[in-house]
Amino acid sequence: MKVRLHISDLSKMRIVILHRPHATVESLSRQCKPIGVQVLDCWPELPRNVLAADFVFFDADMGYDAQFPWNAGEAPMPMIALIGSEAPGRIAWSLSQGADAQILKPLGGGGVFSALLIARRAFEVRQSMRDEICVLRGRLSQRQTVVQAVMLLAAAGRSEDEAYALLRHLAMSQRETIEEAAHKIVFDARNEGGLNG
Amino acid sequence: MKLARKPLKLGILFSLSGSYGMLSRASRRGALRAIDAVNADDSFGFTFEAIQRDPAGNIDLYAPLCREILEEGSVAHVIGCVTSWSRKEVIPVLEKLGATLWYSVPYEGFEASDHVVYTHACPNQHLLPLLGWVLPRFGVRGYLIGSNYIWGWELNRVAREVIQEAGGEILGERYLALNDTDISRMIEEIRVTRPNFVLNSLVGVSSYAFLKAFADLAKADCYFTPESCPVLSCNLTESEFTEIGDAAEGLISAGPYFRGAKGWPCQGVRDFGSSLEAASWAAVMELSQLLRANPGLETAPISKLLSVNTLPTMINTETHHTALPVVIAQVKDGAFDVLELWKDITADPYLSYSEHLPGVRLPSLRVVK
Repeated sequence: MKVRLHISDLSKMRIVILHRPHATVESLSRQCKPIGVQVLDCWPELPRNVLAADFVFFDADMGYDAQFPWNAGEAPMPMIALIGSEAPGRIAWSLSQGADAQILKPLGGGGVFSALLIARRAFEVRQSMRDEICVLRGRLSQRQTVVQAVMLLAAAGRSEDEAYALLRHLAMSQRETIEEAAHKIVFDARNEGGLNG
Repeated sequence: MKLARKPLKLGILFSLSGSYGMLSRASRRGALRAIDAVNADDSFGFTFEAIQRDPAGNIDLYAPLCREILEEGSVAHVIGCVTSWSRKEVIPVLEKLGATLWYSVPYEGFEASDHVVYTHACPNQHLLPLLGWVLPRFGVRGYLIGSNYIWGWELNRVAREVIQEAGGEILGERYLALNDTDISRMIEEIRVTRPNFVLNSLVGVSSYAFLKAFADLAKADCYFTPESCPVLSCNLTESEFTEIGDAAEGLISAGPYFRGAKGWPCQGVRDFGSSLEAASWAAVMELSQLLRANPGLETAPISKLLSVNTLPTMINTETHHTALPVVIAQVKDGAFDVLELWKDITADPYLSYSEHLPGVRLPSLRVVK
């Protein structure tokens, strides 16, 4: 029987801990082993292959922007802040780095497993929203094309509503977005000299 | 002249009354028997004095009583707690005072505290092999019941995933508060939905009430016999048979030990009343062997003890869990009859490695029924 349990598919994940050698690192590593994740600790520089890591734990007390090979807030993996000082300045910096979860220092016997799961979820939600916003921005930028396509279709004696319904129908039948269908209509019309021609 | 043996204090924190008192008393019995065995054995350079406290099933008494034990003076080890809820209550106290809890009952996993040693089974040592054994034989349509706290919730969550992965169906999932015995709604739903099996993660008196009512249902409707619709459990042991009587007949359980089993625990006697007694015996014996092999560390935290120890030990230094046999057994004529046995299964508390654990050859999920 092959058992694949969704919540615990953290095994084989690679974790980088960006923190100076300290009891915090030992405690983190100790908690990581039963979970089945691979741990690499480093300070003050991240290893070159950090981009292959699945999670990064970083020191919120001593950390600084130049440690990361990406722009603040654009980490390509979930980030977990290791917070000792809860001073607003350090929390603000952790947030600017895009902390998806946090663990308070000194570490007790637990906290890593839930931080990993919460950070992963927060990161995934953020990623999918970012992707969706990107798509919506693209569609928004094509408003003018849609208006032009509706006008072209209406020019053949249809009402505006009928023209828009036809555009939707064309998009659906071709399994495209309305913007893609509109773009084709406008493109064809241009080639035939029908738009502004 | 023989050297005088050093007296060491060992905490015992079990509820002697309350809804799960039978389980606690069985666990306590194993611990006390092991203490007697150590005290009678001159090869140990120390003797144990039990420092006992009884939370009487009151969850809010565990942390203060644990603290009371530890503050009695140089107590570094406590054996106790039956529910996960109570274990979670005492962990902060243990962390603060650098002490260790030896936890000797089955639990739901997803924990590996630096201050706890887990000497009974976690899900890859009870629930996964149990379902792996049952699903191909009885079918994949399950009904899940449990006590309304983390043990029941988490066992049923894992069961739900395994059953759904196998293409099966959960026909119902119901919970009862500890101590609650109003099981009529569960029984009625089971009667109507006719599952292939019922996974019973009720604890104590709730479970006894359920098993009695289910046995009555089987008398009224022959679909609900053990051959057709067995009740499964990862927590029912022989220590509770006196309360349940004939109603436990046919129940299929998984655990590291059933009365009469050979093998684990390896130290000496074998005639334990249940796995609870065996696991708490094993806990005290393991501790005493570690202390004998590493003199001077009587009050050290368990992580320190394990890091310097070179004696072979059943405790995994990374997880503080124990490699255990996995036995699938069914109640027949008032005793567990072994159906299947796997030896030395490593604990995998986060279920990270259970897909490729050596030794667990779970049958494929072909439904033969």
